[in-house]
Amino acid sequence: MHGRNEARLTLTLGHLYPDQLNLYGDRGNILTLKRRCELRGIELRVVGLGIGDALAPDEYDLLFIGGGQDKEQAPVAQDLFETKGIGLWAAIEDDMPVLAVCGGYQLLAHYYRPAEGPDMKGLGVFDAWTVHKGPRTPRCIGDVVISWNGMTIVGFENHGGRTYLGTARPLGKVLKGHGNNAEDGTEGAVYRNAYGTYLHGSLLPKNPHFADYLIGLALQRKYGLRRLTSLSMPPGEILNGSTPAQLTPVDDPTTLLRPLDDRLEWQAHAAILERLGLYEEAVAALRRAEAA
Amino acid sequence: MQQHRPSPVISQGPNQSESRGSRWLRPKKGRPEAKPGSVTGAARAGQRSRRRRLSLRAALAVISGRAAGALSRRLRLGGGTSIVGLVAQRLYPDIIRHLAAQLEHGSVLVTGTNGKTTTSGFLAAILRDAGLRVWRNREGANLLRGVAGALVVRALPSGNLRRAGQAISVFEIDEAVMPQAVRLLEPRAAVFINLFRDQLDRYGEVESVAALWRQMVKGLPETTTLVLNADDPTTASLGELARGPVLYFGLEDLTLDLSGQDGQGTAGTYQAVDSRSCVRCGSDYRYSARFYSHMGHYQCPHCGLERPAPTVRALQVRQDTFDRLRVTVETPTQLGEIVIPLPGLYNVYNALAAIAVAQALGISWEPIVSGIEQFKPAFGRGERVQVAGRTLRLLLAKNPTGLNEVLRTLFSEGTPRHMLFVLNDNIADGRDVSWIWDVDFERAQGLTASLTVAGTRAFDLALRLKYAGFAPEEMTIIPSTPLRALEELIGSQPRGRKGRGRGRARHQQQQPDAVAAKTSTKVSPAAEEGAASPQERATPFPGYGLATALERAIEQTPVGETLFIVPTYTGLLELHRELERRGLTPHYWEGRD
Repeated sequence: MHGRNEARLTLTLGHLYPDQLNLYGDRGNILTLKRRCELRGIELRVVGLGIGDALAPDEYDLLFIGGGQDKEQAPVAQDLFETKGIGLWAAIEDDMPVLAVCGGYQLLAHYYRPAEGPDMKGLGVFDAWTVHKGPRTPRCIGDVVISWNGMTIVGFENHGGRTYLGTARPLGKVLKGHGNNAEDGTEGAVYRNAYGTYLHGSLLPKNPHFADYLIGLALQRKYGLRRLTSLSMPPGEILNGSTPAQLTPVDDPTTLLRPLDDRLEWQAHAAILERLGLYEEAVAALRRAEAA
Repeated sequence: MQQHRPSPVISQGPNQSESRGSRWLRPKKGRPEAKPGSVTGAARAGQRSRRRRLSLRAALAVISGRAAGALSRRLRLGGGTSIVGLVAQRLYPDIIRHLAAQLEHGSVLVTGTNGKTTTSGFLAAILRDAGLRVWRNREGANLLRGVAGALVVRALPSGNLRRAGQAISVFEIDEAVMPQAVRLLEPRAAVFINLFRDQLDRYGEVESVAALWRQMVKGLPETTTLVLNADDPTTASLGELARGPVLYFGLEDLTLDLSGQDGQGTAGTYQAVDSRSCVRCGSDYRYSARFYSHMGHYQCPHCGLERPAPTVRALQVRQDTFDRLRVTVETPTQLGEIVIPLPGLYNVYNALAAIAVAQALGISWEPIVSGIEQFKPAFGRGERVQVAGRTLRLLLAKNPTGLNEVLRTLFSEGTPRHMLFVLNDNIADGRDVSWIWDVDFERAQGLTASLTVAGTRAFDLALRLKYAGFAPEEMTIIPSTPLRALEELIGSQPRGRKGRGRGRARHQQQQPDAVAAKTSTKVSPAAEEGAASPQERATPFPGYGLATALERAIEQTPVGETLFIVPTYTGLLELHRELERRGLTPHYWEGRD
């Protein structure tokens, strides 16, 4: 019917357990992805996946899972394992970008061992595990900065459990704050395009580069570079000003996206860096905004 | 007799007679705890000498505490009541119990995430109008030391309370401190207004506070009446565990139901829901009516747990004007209309809670009506302040539900408002500000006549507003401290150099007197604006700090109009100090009222 609509890029985001795992402003991550897509003419549909809903991997392009209260985490863990596990595994093995924050991150590792009571079984996507060492060990709370791809990611962490990595690659190195366990300087975990992290605050609004990275991964996976360029998009609309002929396979999928005016985002990012004493990094972050 | 046990969920019938009883003015001695007849002569003599020893200790604690308070005020270290309590408690850990036992009419404790100060304010006004002498702790001083301080400043050097006759204390108590407070004060009534997510880094999750409360309620004496919000599932469920009488309050006006208008999770508005699963079996509640967040008429489809029928009920709520709510209230003995002089549905709950306590204490209807209708809001709870021809209204909002309700109150009629938001992340605010992403700022989009954003987390809030659809140009962002990296960056560009220097000069203007002088003389906002704009282009921000933000927001509000200020807790305190310095609000040391 609408010929032009076919040209419109659409992505579908599966938001896992939006009612149970929504404790730390996770909505900010969804809002950020949605808006950054919209501003580039990409339609982002958000589908909530609650307890009991199956996860069909071919229906989604991007998955998000947040953190929640302990009380609500147990039924979620069970559902994740029994109902969504296979679908989620298939999606991740098929390189679907997944962002898991805080409780969601813990649930994608092997297990969560509380101070008392039985282990909570995770999905084992990340070769990592989490131990809560009891009420006497202080929670990891505060602003946190990690280095990622030569840039900084800022956020806020608040977790009692300490996560230890097996063979999983960390998302980044802790520059300030606690990270996975306040011991080894690692933060988060990566497996294929699945990213686990303790950073909320929300994570994506103040880290537009990371948000765009996830969107870029999803676009690249869904449309592929060749198909992206063959779509009858007005040049420069979403693509970063380059004509199809100039496009070569790139490592950084972000370059697919038209830059936005992110000055406020980077100021918010830099303000956190500066209050933690990372002055040079703050300048670098602001430069990035000006360059765009 | 006192032996009434409420049925697990609903406690309506027998409770009504309980609350109607003329238990008030019942002297303290009548409380079953202190039965003199049960003590033998020798024991009594021993007790007497013990009491004398304790009196001496209390006297010492009172004198030292008050001396420390005087010193602290003299040195301008702070309000002084907390240090009074701290020192007194150090010298005599049982000072609270010792002094509170002398109050002729005992104590009432008020707790909950939102509404402690207003509810205890309503209650204090009612009790005063009923002829009682009401003693309160200063708002925010709601830890034990604040309670101790409030009692010690009213004690004589002999260790006895001044004018304890006709006296009753109404203390607002921090959610997490409730267990100790209850043990020390053995209150006549304990009020639980609500439980929302608040300061995750300090209290932990909602569920851990709920667990603390459940434990505490099991240990309450039978003489304590529990006053509970029927519409808040977690709070209401405490009634099942009570040994003494229980009184519920709640809303019955189904026209206030949100679920039909803007159901949760649908496009447009968003509700932060902090308790969704049944306390008994863990299934999700089903709501036949939802007023806001998780407040409403709920039922568990699995185990059948349901909202208890309230004894004190609001049958109808109508909004006359922004801050005049006309409420039809029904109690077992009365049906009448009360005008609440405050904005927001949350204040209806606060008023109902106060009415329910008054009922439990046997207060008659007239002082209830007059106490509420003539209530003067506490600082930051809708209080009006006049500044340079503008009206300021301060509406504290410290968590998602609180802020959502403030926004709903301000913007539901579609009237454009002048706004100043202050977001701080000091310890008393909670270090974690991610909750702002659960607030429905989208509601205010297109409805701000002017918009200033300030605080230690001004950037986070500005970003939240940007993603709610506000253009960055619409906002005046005034961070609490300079972003040096940005100044440096701009400074390194040829034309910014001048700006950078001026930025410094402007920063200096924050000097208290300069600011005060500026607002007290009438400035034409237009002239100010014109003078400032070349600088604004050169420097990243028009200034720094809350004093500047306040000044800017006032300038952007035309004379005769109202500026609504929505700060977090320490933002409110800072604003209070700023206004106080300009001579616009009274000092608020406890003991001076």
